Amino acid sequence: MNQASGRLSSVRRDWRERDVRVLIAALVVAVATVATIALFASHLQRTLVSSASAFLAADRQLESENGQPIPQAWRDKATERGLEVARMVEFSTMVYGNDNFQLVAVKAVSEGYPLRGEIEYQASADSPREMRSAGPGHGDVWLNPRLLRLLDVTIGDSIEVGNLELTVSGLLIREPDGGFSMSALAPKIMMNAADVAATGVLQVGSRVEYVNLFAGEEAALDDFYAEVKPDFSPSHEWKSVDDGEALSGSLQRARRFLLLGGSLAVLLASVAVAVAARQYAVGQRDTVALLKTLGVRGQRIGRLYLSRLMIWGVAGTLAGVVIALPAFWGLASLTARLLERPVDYSIDWFALTPALVTALVSMMAFAYPPLQRLRSVPAMRVLRSEPGESGTGIVRDGLIALIAIFGLIWLYAGELGLVLSLLGGLAALLAVLALLGWAMVLLLRRVVGGGNAWRLALVGLYRHRKASLSQIAVFSMTLMLAATLLLIRSSLLDDWQAQLPDDAPNHFLINIAPDAVDDVEQFLAKNDLAKEAIYPMVRGRLTELNNEPVKQAVSKDREVRALNRELNLTWMNSLPADNTIVSGEWFEPGQTEGVSIESQLADRMGVKVGDVLGFTIGSQKIEQPVTSIRTVQWDSMRPNFYLAFPEGGGLTGLPATWITSFYLGEDQKLLLNDFTREFPTVSVLEVDHIIDRIREIVVQVTQAIEAILIMILAAAVVVMAAVVSATLQDRQREGALLRTLGGRQSLLVRSTMLEFALLGFFAGLLGVVAAEVAVWALQYRMFQGEFQWHFRIVATLPLISAAVLSVFGYWQLQPVLKVSPMLLLRRLE
Amino acid sequence: MATGEYILKVTDLTHRVDLGHDTLTILHDVNLTVMAGQSVAIVGRSGSGKTTLLGLLAGLDTPSDGQIELDGQVISQLGEDQRAALRAQRVGFVFQSFQLLPALTALENVMLPLELAGQKEAASQATELLQRVGLGDRLTHTPRQLSGGEQQRVAIARAFAARPKILFADEPTGNLDNNTGQTVSDLLMALNREQGTTLIMVTHDEHLAARCERQFSIEAGVLTEPASQPVDNPPPRTAQQEAL
Ligand SMILES: Nc1ncnc2c1ncn2[C@@H]1O[C@H](COP(=O)(O)OP(=O)(O)O)[C@@H](O)[C@H]1O
Ligand SMILES: [Mg+2]
Repeated sequence: MNQASGRLSSVRRDWRERDVRVLIAALVVAVATVATIALFASHLQRTLVSSASAFLAADRQLESENGQPIPQAWRDKATERGLEVARMVEFSTMVYGNDNFQLVAVKAVSEGYPLRGEIEYQASADSPREMRSAGPGHGDVWLNPRLLRLLDVTIGDSIEVGNLELTVSGLLIREPDGGFSMSALAPKIMMNAADVAATGVLQVGSRVEYVNLFAGEEAALDDFYAEVKPDFSPSHEWKSVDDGEALSGSLQRARRFLLLGGSLAVLLASVAVAVAARQYAVGQRDTVALLKTLGVRGQRIGRLYLSRLMIWGVAGTLAGVVIALPAFWGLASLTARLLERPVDYSIDWFALTPALVTALVSMMAFAYPPLQRLRSVPAMRVLRSEPGESGTGIVRDGLIALIAIFGLIWLYAGELGLVLSLLGGLAALLAVLALLGWAMVLLLRRVVGGGNAWRLALVGLYRHRKASLSQIAVFSMTLMLAATLLLIRSSLLDDWQAQLPDDAPNHFLINIAPDAVDDVEQFLAKNDLAKEAIYPMVRGRLTELNNEPVKQAVSKDREVRALNRELNLTWMNSLPADNTIVSGEWFEPGQTEGVSIESQLADRMGVKVGDVLGFTIGSQKIEQPVTSIRTVQWDSMRPNFYLAFPEGGGLTGLPATWITSFYLGEDQKLLLNDFTREFPTVSVLEVDHIIDRIREIVVQVTQAIEAILIMILAAAVVVMAAVVSATLQDRQREGALLRTLGGRQSLLVRSTMLEFALLGFFAGLLGVVAAEVAVWALQYRMFQGEFQWHFRIVATLPLISAAVLSVFGYWQLQPVLKVSPMLLLRRLE
Repeated sequence: MATGEYILKVTDLTHRVDLGHDTLTILHDVNLTVMAGQSVAIVGRSGSGKTTLLGLLAGLDTPSDGQIELDGQVISQLGEDQRAALRAQRVGFVFQSFQLLPALTALENVMLPLELAGQKEAASQATELLQRVGLGDRLTHTPRQLSGGEQQRVAIARAFAARPKILFADEPTGNLDNNTGQTVSDLLMALNREQGTTLIMVTHDEHLAARCERQFSIEAGVLTEPASQPVDNPPPRTAQQEAL
């Protein structure tokens, strides 16, 4: 009890010390930033996945392409695990209405569909669009609006699907999993799955796809998959959100950015804690020497400081978490407004782990070493300080810090590339810094002071060279980290912008017969629709690798989805602009042999240039050697192909249809009706809603990135303020003395601001250059963008940091300037 | 009282500080005239108002009432920056607690006023002065590495560096032992003579005070000059005491 109250009063005494406050503040900022980012990243992950899940209308889909329904027993197992289940059946058929026949794609859905997302629906052509969370009831059918004209029916009429008459009860604008499948051949209708049997359309051997939808806990989904997977046949396909090619790239990059932001927060926090602890330890040396003369032994001193550190650590961590929670809710509600849907504010407590580990590590690895070394402060110091004692232990502390930082980022980001890129940038920075320090001492020694603010500032830099260098070190590190984030952010946004420009193609024309190609091109040209290249498309399976069935050739533990289904094969002479060759050579003019394979598929199959691929197309088999491996921009919304042959090559003579894409504005939608009338056999795939969705996600992620950037910048400012205020007392003392000795206020202000501006300029320059190095490495390894120098940022950041720091300098001087030097003199005594 | 040029003239100086609930009068109606080149000691107990008076005389603060004329300028009418400029050119300081900047070496500390005055040869002049005070081999040492007496010698070198017309010293030996104090005061007096500086020194050390040409005493903010005496004559008070 007595001891406890003693503790408490000593905490209160500690709090009165500025360095302790700075140290605790640094820890609070560290924990708050890391925790907020981690909480938000986890939240964003959940929202993104759930908003992406809408693309599947579920969390997972199980598809069967062999015309066999998926066993009821599997669905029962899923229900037992607490998963939601729904079914759908997809097939093409002719429908009849009002004397017209039309080929349609039928999507028959069960109760519960969609498990994720909503169906966009219109009660009639003139009523407003509305969102529905269930499909048509028994006996009802919803039509693609174009069918109203094609079949010449209206709402309330009946149409015949096989033997069954269904009532047209609405218009299907889009379903969440409307997808991006190029095999969709005809306008879509949606009916109830329970009515399918009565149509009699599905015969043995009909082309039909049975799909089961599942939603629920990730763990339950994984368990369910593990349980049924052994019974899968090759035509069963398990789909998750990540497989949505159009989105996975964006999601992946967003996730990486959040990780990067979190890592930078960790780094910044460590720097702040280390600086504050060092400052505190330096200030404590006299106290320790005094304690020693009073007979306190070194070990007890060590314990004393360790227990204080622990108290501060717990207090700082708690305060950090308390700040992080509302900050997280703020961020979450920001994205909520954007998404116009209720947000899940629940807290993923597990996401707090990195913050707690950061607190522990930064206390033990950054704050403790300098305090621990206090044990060995000589008692003699009370009488006289020993020259040269200040530099001891820096190397050891640095090493411990480096290892700790390395470990922390690794733990946090789990990406060695990221850790190495950042540390590489830091190392480059420290090397340049050492050089700069040496040059500074050499050059500035020659400057003689004077009544001139510039010279006084330069002399000031030299006089405070130790403090100046360590301040430059901390500022430039801080700026480097902030600049890295800033640079990555802008290139990320540019990338997204470039990938989905406003006129990105949003409609595909599929199934264009060879003899209709010219007419289609004319139609597009006549209506001023800019089309992308037009490609032939042959459907076939990749069946052999080096004369061995692929199923055996590709090792079992690798699951290659592309091998389980029909692929779109094409031929092309020139490489699409957004593809790049990573291995081998693109086809020479006139070359007929060879095939070019997409790089990820090649990786997964272990295929190299020179390997021979065998394809089964209908009843025909062809074989071609791989002559090149290329990357494909899957999220570009242009026709993309895993496998491309040269014109006149392996695909010659095989039945092909053609595909192209183009941009159609919202106001030109009616053109589609003319087009369908003119080319009844060509399918139009409208992907504008997918693009809208991707844009929405990009906007959401961008907002998050901006918010995190602001937080990191705020943390950076706190770190810099902490460092600047560490020398506050010395500077105030110096300012007071200079005034007593006759320095004018204005001179003092100008020279101090200049000195800080110079510090800021150098720190900014170093920081931004180091950031470029880090970004170059990151871009190359992680974000796959192309590296560019960011001249604007390189040019402006040093100036901004000079300005900010000179304001800091001004702010530091205020207490010196406001009061009469008399009072200062008294306070100094 | 000697005639000739006065360098410092204080008329009816009163200083009060506001303590919120009431005001405290620290100095009452102080009058004082000091001729150029004179050395003056002000003796008084701790808390009697010595530092306050010195600060006002040097223009570090402005008095509540009265007028101070320093080297021809009425400092109570000058602005903050003008007073600073006046100090830079004509005033030197020695403090009881030395007031060296811990981050700077001895040499850099002495160079400080020279640099403020915009002197080119700051380094060589400062070196010379440090040699003069016997610290020629301690140029690169920081205050922490110097003893109290050595620190005060650096401070004296700094005070004389800009060749001030008038030097204010606030208990220059107050923090030092007798022997060291003796060395420091010897230096102070010697440099003062060499440069012909006017010296105004506050102290409670009677010995040191006795080495000045004039002595004042201050008690509870009231300054009195016991009948001005040449240094070689015993002060009348002492004579009376002997008589008793
Ligand atoms: N700003 C102030 N506020 C309150 N009291 C003050 C202030 N300045 C001086 N004093 C008081 O005035 C008296 C004289 O102070 P000072 O001039 O420092 O005396 P000395 O230097 O002779 O010891 C002291 O009692 C001191 O506490
Ligand atoms: Mg005093």
